[in-house]
Amino acid sequence: MTTRAWPALPALILLLVFFLFPVVRMLGFSLEGGTFDWYAKALGEGLYLRVFWNTFEIALLVTVFCLLLGYPLGFLMATTTPGWATLGFIFVLLPLWTSVLVRTYAWMVLLGRNGVFNRLLMEAGLTTDPIPLLHNFTGVLIGMVHVLLPYMVLPIYGAVRRIDPAIPAAAAGLGASGGRIFWRIYLPLTLNGIFAGSVLVFVLSLGFFITPALLGGGRVMMIAVLIEQQVREALNWPFAAALSAVLLVATFAIYALAQRFSQPETTR
Amino acid sequence: MDIQRPHRRRVLSLLGGAAAVGVSGRAFAQTDSSRAEPPKPAQIVVNHSGGSMGSAMRKAFFNGFEKKYGIRVVETSPVDFGKLRAMVDSGNVEWDLTEIGGQDAIRASKMNLLDKIDPKVVDRSKYPPTAQNPHVFASSVYTTIIGYRTDVFKGGTHPKSWADWWDVKKFPGARSMRNHPTDNLEFALIADGVPKDKVYPIDFDRAFKKLDQVKPHVTAWWSTGQQPAQLLLDKEVVLATGWNGRFYDVIKKGGPIEIEWNEGALKQGSFAIPRGAKNPYWANKMLAELAIPQQQAVYASELGYPGLNLESLNFVDAKVKPYLPTAYLDKQFWISDEWYAENGTKAAELWNAWMLKKA
Repeated sequence: MTTRAWPALPALILLLVFFLFPVVRMLGFSLEGGTFDWYAKALGEGLYLRVFWNTFEIALLVTVFCLLLGYPLGFLMATTTPGWATLGFIFVLLPLWTSVLVRTYAWMVLLGRNGVFNRLLMEAGLTTDPIPLLHNFTGVLIGMVHVLLPYMVLPIYGAVRRIDPAIPAAAAGLGASGGRIFWRIYLPLTLNGIFAGSVLVFVLSLGFFITPALLGGGRVMMIAVLIEQQVREALNWPFAAALSAVLLVATFAIYALAQRFSQPETTR
Repeated sequence: MDIQRPHRRRVLSLLGGAAAVGVSGRAFAQTDSSRAEPPKPAQIVVNHSGGSMGSAMRKAFFNGFEKKYGIRVVETSPVDFGKLRAMVDSGNVEWDLTEIGGQDAIRASKMNLLDKIDPKVVDRSKYPPTAQNPHVFASSVYTTIIGYRTDVFKGGTHPKSWADWWDVKKFPGARSMRNHPTDNLEFALIADGVPKDKVYPIDFDRAFKKLDQVKPHVTAWWSTGQQPAQLLLDKEVVLATGWNGRFYDVIKKGGPIEIEWNEGALKQGSFAIPRGAKNPYWANKMLAELAIPQQQAVYASELGYPGLNLESLNFVDAKVKPYLPTAYLDKQFWISDEWYAENGTKAAELWNAWMLKKA
């Protein structure tokens, strides 16, 4: 080991003991009795496959919406005056420090049939009957995007900040339009931030639990709910471990795939 | 309220290790010699579901226990069967006493995760015979029943049975039910004409077929205990199944909600001592405290969950009695923990699959 690696040792040991070891033990659980039966059940039964599919579908949608909302916000925060940027940070970070449960309940108040949004819409005469925003897929999407948005905004903010302001200035000086500057300079140079943010949001989405349960009205089922049921209610830990392992492997696979597509050019 | 008698008689109960004698019904009697009991720890840990239940338990039981024995009661939550198993398996048992769900209690004692309750310390002679399981202490009764908005269903026009609940023409409006097979399978069968004492063993096909009919009218499937009352208060739904204590809490505060008790699904709340608990003797002493009828009455008045010491109803205020499920035992039925201990996993899988089914 080179001397440069020594300072990293405590963190590596920490990961080994508190992350790698439990993961390996969990994998051991899933193969209890030396059979792949639990994997066969996880991948063979329609119920579990559908819930896996649901989970990835929701995670993908949440990532896309976070990107659509988060990119302009991160971009703005990185390019505006320090005062506005601070304000932006407060708005982005404050929710991050609030309990997920509290935020989820706040959305229930806002999105309900007699919630703030529906009352505003009806008073404005835009609709006569309340729009179903809660206890369905829409509610889950709104709640999750809100909870996860900071994880998208911050990496994008960082990426935009790292761009030398002379580059877009030069492009503008040479007569490039705003759109062209964005597509040819900002976007390629912030791809890393987009990638980092998307991976964070996607991976965090996969494990979501309380938000879908409360805002989805029970209709939106994600794999974490089923794993929790197996751990706490059914006490079938081998099966819970197998479900978790499938989720883990699928997540790695998607991560690897995304990395291939995101940065073919850079070598750091 | 003067609930505890100022003087508690201490009765000698050391007889060459033989069974304790002369135990009064009120509380366990101690010997004068401290040789009889293990040394007092600084604290014991009681795990329960938390929330308003925790504060009611503190008021009814924990404060008295602390005063009596000088042992601090540390409360943790939530109730978690998986954690219980992990604790016992690893030999590192944090809880001296834990609340546990009915069917989980049966499975836990089968899996040898629980200590036997010491009959010399905990007097359950006033309990119904069904509530004297050697490993499981029945602490209270609760029921899943119909809660409805009184401004929507005025003057007794609300659904009064599960058949009514399913009758969406006569009783229109959004409904909420629990996102769980327990209760709902039984309600479906009863709505379909099965007598309430004949629902077990459950006919899954028949139950789910009946549930199909009501599914489009259930706008929210609740997953936490406070949701049903909240959904009713927010007018998200006009009818909700829920635990009686949660509705009682809203009614006590004057909320526009009432309870229909007919065909409610009764369950017992339970406590047990994890095997390998650090202070099993004092955990038993705590159970003895939980068995005192006057204290159970305090607890019932707070939450609407009466204890199973049948004497406790004598100590409850007349205004509170109509909100206790034990006042309507004949109209209701008991959920079979035994059946769920055997079939719970299967029921959960079928339920999930049914929930995922479109429309």
